Amino acid sequence: MSDNKKYCISYEDVEKAVERIKPAAHITQVMTSKTMDSFAGRQLFFKCELFQKIGAFKFRGAYNVIRKLVDNAEDKCKVKVVTHSSGNFGQAVALSSQLLGIQAFVVMQSISPQIKVDAVRGYGATVVFCERGEKARQEMADKVAEEEGAIFLSSAQHPDVIAGQGTMAVELLQQVPDLDAIVASVSGGGMVAGICIAAKHIKPSIKIYAGEPINADDCAKSFAAGKRIPLPGPPNTIADGNVASVGYNTWPIIKDYLEDVVTVSEEEIIQATRLMWERVKICIEPSAGTAVAAVLSDKFKAIPKDVKKVGVILSGGNLDIPKIAALF
Amino acid sequence: MSDKKYCISYEDVQKAVERIKPEAHVTQVMTSKTMNGFAGRELFFKCELFQKVGAFKFRGAYNAICSLLEKTEDKSNLKVVTQSSGNFGQGLSLAAKLKGVPTFVVMQNTAPQIKIDSVKGYGATVVLSQPGEKNWIDMRNKVAKEEGAVFLSSSQNPDVIAGQGTMAIEFLEQVPYLDAIVASICGGGMIAGICIAAKHIKPNIKIYAAEPLNADDCAKSFAAGKRIPLPHGPPNTIADGLVASVGENTWPIIKDHLTDVITVTEDEIMKATKLIWERVKLCIEPSAGVAVAAVLSDKFKALPKDMKKVGIILSGGNVDLSKLSTWF
Repeated sequence: MSDNKKYCISYEDVEKAVERIKPAAHITQVMTSKTMDSFAGRQLFFKCELFQKIGAFKFRGAYNVIRKLVDNAEDKCKVKVVTHSSGNFGQAVALSSQLLGIQAFVVMQSISPQIKVDAVRGYGATVVFCERGEKARQEMADKVAEEEGAIFLSSAQHPDVIAGQGTMAVELLQQVPDLDAIVASVSGGGMVAGICIAAKHIKPSIKIYAGEPINADDCAKSFAAGKRIPLPGPPNTIADGNVASVGYNTWPIIKDYLEDVVTVSEEEIIQATRLMWERVKICIEPSAGTAVAAVLSDKFKAIPKDVKKVGVILSGGNLDIPKIAALF
Repeated sequence: MSDKKYCISYEDVQKAVERIKPEAHVTQVMTSKTMNGFAGRELFFKCELFQKVGAFKFRGAYNAICSLLEKTEDKSNLKVVTQSSGNFGQGLSLAAKLKGVPTFVVMQNTAPQIKIDSVKGYGATVVLSQPGEKNWIDMRNKVAKEEGAVFLSSSQNPDVIAGQGTMAIEFLEQVPYLDAIVASICGGGMIAGICIAAKHIKPNIKIYAAEPLNADDCAKSFAAGKRIPLPHGPPNTIADGLVASVGENTWPIIKDHLTDVITVTEDEIMKATKLIWERVKLCIEPSAGVAVAAVLSDKFKALPKDMKKVGIILSGGNVDLSKLSTWF
């Protein structure tokens, strides 16, 4: 197998992650829908990460990195972790830490919705508030790391997080071995990079597509230019899990392994999300709808018909009901 | 055990299992630690929202069509008619289409366009009547006469009831140690079918009917020991699948086999429905939320703790999503 030294992880790291997360993570089911197949013109296989612990795939990466830290620590009780995230990664770190018996700090912006603050606290983590903005979040996380002796965990760039996310592709290809493609939404790139390393090892001919909001299209622009071009500022998209830019660890993997990026409009994301609720009866969040929208897009429909069986990652189902109600 | 006084026997349900096998889904059972925490018991959700046409009604409809065809000499001239604004109309349309039988579904002209379109989409001829129970029944009778169509009641037809009972046989194969089953109630077809099937397999199992307080004919009937239908006029409840009264065929079964009726307020129904969307990520309709609300109610919580494992039927997932913003 090719030289993985240039990437931050290898397939073996994903294999180890599979074992590490086994006691805690769910093996999520794959669902199919004749209705969605007819809309897409292909056979779709939905990997239901919305049924994962904390309601999103992020639990895989969080549990993998924290378990590895705990396993390698001399004094497990002294291990502390910190991250900045108001979303799924914050909850994932909180729950993983609770399950492994260590202390977690989650830095959240002071404007975060109460429901998200409560969720993180509910899992036993300490919430530390900061001002708005990427800079403020990182500075506070660094401060907590120093003062508490906590290890900082990046939601998408930490190699053990990426390897953890890759486990979903190992599972999916055990469940549906003859997939021709996998489509997943992209933000920092942790999920897509993990899927690339895992899936391309198991089935080198498989095609990996990233779905992305056009309002947050750093991956699309980067892929077209052949170099990493982060977003200029916080994007305006309903897909609140797709707002980060592809990072320094995930970019090299994406650049080499990704087949293409499919960008979708806000309207397409909402439509696709609604279709999944209505027809498949599962409550996905808009960031998962991005991947569904990508598969339903004209661009994807124009892909050669030998791409028959398409895996679609339903990355999560954490949303604010009144907010989604206003969209439908 | 003598079933002669009831319109169906356990053997009828067993026959139904075989009849519907080629077409109906064996729906999965889901669990949720979060919901267990709220209920104080172990809950098992029978996911009939994933059944064909998105609701359990397909079981009864398909069984009834098959049974009718068996009894009909001149199969090519068979036509069926029903009155339904909801899931039974869709269930019967699809069932009849699969067996090549023309179907007429009488709907009130006040029915939401989305429901009319759904029924048409499954291949039935929709006939609109003026609003009101009498107009509805009169139109159904007119169609039956003019078209020579056989009337199939959505909850009183014995083959429909037997078909609904198949979900209890499946459920007890999937979770043999259930102490109780909770299902919402309307005309009583589902509850009666479950009673006959479940009580035969496990005589000491408890069956609870969940009902909107705003449509509490079953609760009143059960308390009085005699059938007391709702007074004229459709009841005012968000649970739009639960607006009919327990009928002549289902009442005797319910009277003898049901353990109790739990009524829930509109607020409780919406809260429970929202909880399932948010925490279990399943897009159930409010009529299914009634059963969940019942299990979360004070009355149910006060039941003896030896009733540990409770099955809840998530009866359907056909929601008009454009209504969400008026609910939340």
